[in-house]
Amino acid sequence: MKVIEIENLNKIYKESEIEVHAVNGVTLDFEEGEFAAIVGPSGSGKTTLLNMIGGLDDPTSGEVIVGGSSMSKLKGAELTDFRLHNIGFVFQSYNLIPVLTAKENTEFVMRLQGLSAKVCETRSEELLNIVGLGERMNARPNKLSGGQQQRVAVARALASKPKFVLADEPTANLDSKSTETLLEIMEKLNREENITFIFSTHDARVVKKARRVITLEDGKILSDVTKNGGE
Amino acid sequence: MDKLIKMAWRNIWRNKRRTLITIASIFFAVFFAVIMRAFQLGTYEHMIHQAIESFTGYIQIQDKEFFDDPSLDNSFKYGGELANIVENNKEIKVAVPRVASFSLASTGMQSKGVLVTGIDPLREKELSNPEIRIVKYRLTIEAIEKIMAETKLPKKQLELLKIHEKGSFSSWAGLALGLSLSGSLEDELKPIITKHTKFEGQYLKVDDDGVLVSDRLSKYLMAEVGDTITLLGLGYHGVTAAGIFPVRGIVKIPSPDLDNKLVYMTLSKSQQFFDLGNRITSLNINLYDPDEMMEVQSELLASINSDKYTVKNWEEFNPTMKQQIEGDSVGGVIFIGILYFIVLFGIFGTVLMMVAERKREFGVMVAIGMKKAKLVVILFIEMIFLGFIGMATGLGAAAPLIVLGNKNPIRMTGEMAKMYEDMGFDPVMPLAWFDNYFVWQGVIIMIMVILACIFPLEGVRKMKVMNALKA
Repeated sequence: MKVIEIENLNKIYKESEIEVHAVNGVTLDFEEGEFAAIVGPSGSGKTTLLNMIGGLDDPTSGEVIVGGSSMSKLKGAELTDFRLHNIGFVFQSYNLIPVLTAKENTEFVMRLQGLSAKVCETRSEELLNIVGLGERMNARPNKLSGGQQQRVAVARALASKPKFVLADEPTANLDSKSTETLLEIMEKLNREENITFIFSTHDARVVKKARRVITLEDGKILSDVTKNGGE
Repeated sequence: MDKLIKMAWRNIWRNKRRTLITIASIFFAVFFAVIMRAFQLGTYEHMIHQAIESFTGYIQIQDKEFFDDPSLDNSFKYGGELANIVENNKEIKVAVPRVASFSLASTGMQSKGVLVTGIDPLREKELSNPEIRIVKYRLTIEAIEKIMAETKLPKKQLELLKIHEKGSFSSWAGLALGLSLSGSLEDELKPIITKHTKFEGQYLKVDDDGVLVSDRLSKYLMAEVGDTITLLGLGYHGVTAAGIFPVRGIVKIPSPDLDNKLVYMTLSKSQQFFDLGNRITSLNINLYDPDEMMEVQSELLASINSDKYTVKNWEEFNPTMKQQIEGDSVGGVIFIGILYFIVLFGIFGTVLMMVAERKREFGVMVAIGMKKAKLVVILFIEMIFLGFIGMATGLGAAAPLIVLGNKNPIRMTGEMAKMYEDMGFDPVMPLAWFDNYFVWQGVIIMIMVILACIFPLEGVRKMKVMNALKA
């Protein structure tokens, strides 16, 4: 089942008088349960593509269809609401809310969804246990290591039961041990709970784990390779 | 909502120093504004109490023509239906009849135009109560010389004696305050000072044929207790009013203007002097609640015979004081306005900083699904918290001072007291009791917080998620 359909997506930035094609006519589909990495050199358009898939950036032309709904038709609060219910985000710099504990950060999106306190609490505890932070639930981000913060970010991304998770360079700020742990957690969630993960990354370790690798160059798809059985 | 409130509360303590500085600026603005306004309103109340409540009354019933032509020919008989109307009005605390007219006073050496005021000595105690204003101590030059000869005074008291030279006091407490005497020094000096400054004088008896002379007038006329003054004036329907009156006492009137010209005699004596029969020139009324003044005036106007009488309030018969209070009040409000304006920019700066330094965080929150409206609500709650804490602490700190300053007004001493008196003010600075002004300072600060939030919060509302995430 297709989770995301991307049709002839373009993003053109104007720098002075020069037009830069950050994403140039990309057409892609993502099936449910994929563990895909978008790779490419700096400036290849990975993050821009990911932002447009996530509805954070508007395409110049083309369309992103998530679960049969075209995102280009959504604006403002509707689009925010769509993201809340359909997309999980993991950012490079973790971006947890500093005044909330690990548990509260995880509960945050569920609260926004209007779920009851009991449901939020149960699910956030469950997710934090899955990412191995059951003992650090009440710690605020400044008391957690980078790796721990990113695991909380993964728990937060999954809390809303999204259709897919977008992770923009999730391992860029992590050491190798933390990267390994994080990837194992995400892979496990993907395998066991059939959650779709889409990464943008430079990290060879992420590419190694991904079952599908899409390579971008100058905003165009250079290759789209699906591995058999992952590694 | 509780989650948003919790987040807002935690957010404001993320930068403790900035939060404390913002709260402090609001605290001081509220505190100073409240105290300043309390002093201002307290002073007005005191002025009104002195001049209105303690002399003219809040409301006067007069003959219809008297206001424009204050002649004895425009006097009226008090009693019958008019008396019933006044007595049946539950808001009226006291109504005293008076006769007031100008005459020429002379002691042989000096003469001066004076305001002869006929009062009912007993009923008048409930309104102006001249009895408590009878001069009991006078610091004459001779008295001061005698005190200095008899005892060695500290330097400060010596200077104050000179400042208050020829000064009159209605009580020992007033004199002690003027000379800054207290404790053992007061105990030590009281017998000596009393011996040389004690001034004999008494209040009018019901059937007294003497007069009370105001302090400054008595000094001008050189009329002492026991002396006689001659009064010459025009009575009812042009008859000549003339008489010799013994001075029973000297009264110290807080208003310098009145203190320069007032002569009290009994109502019956004044009616006899001016050949008025049982007519009076005004019925002076005090109220239980001064705020009801306009309503009582309207009620009286509606029920009295408007062809014969009129009802005036103090703002009408003392427009100068009203203008003085209004002018001063506007000045005070402008000053407080400037104070608040400065604080407004402080709050504005804080909100701008709060928004600018958390732009990326806001971007993330919107990216993961928080509506901007909710984000705006969090920020708004944060500012309300800051405003409320500053306001509550400011009002909380001002409240005990208001209680203290209201119950124990600051009394000027020494040179400052003299200066106040010379300017026609009682040297007392009371703080007004809690009233609308107190609540209003809180309301104003919260309005300012809201105003300061508008622009930065509008920025958040229009924020582009991508730009915020790159911040």
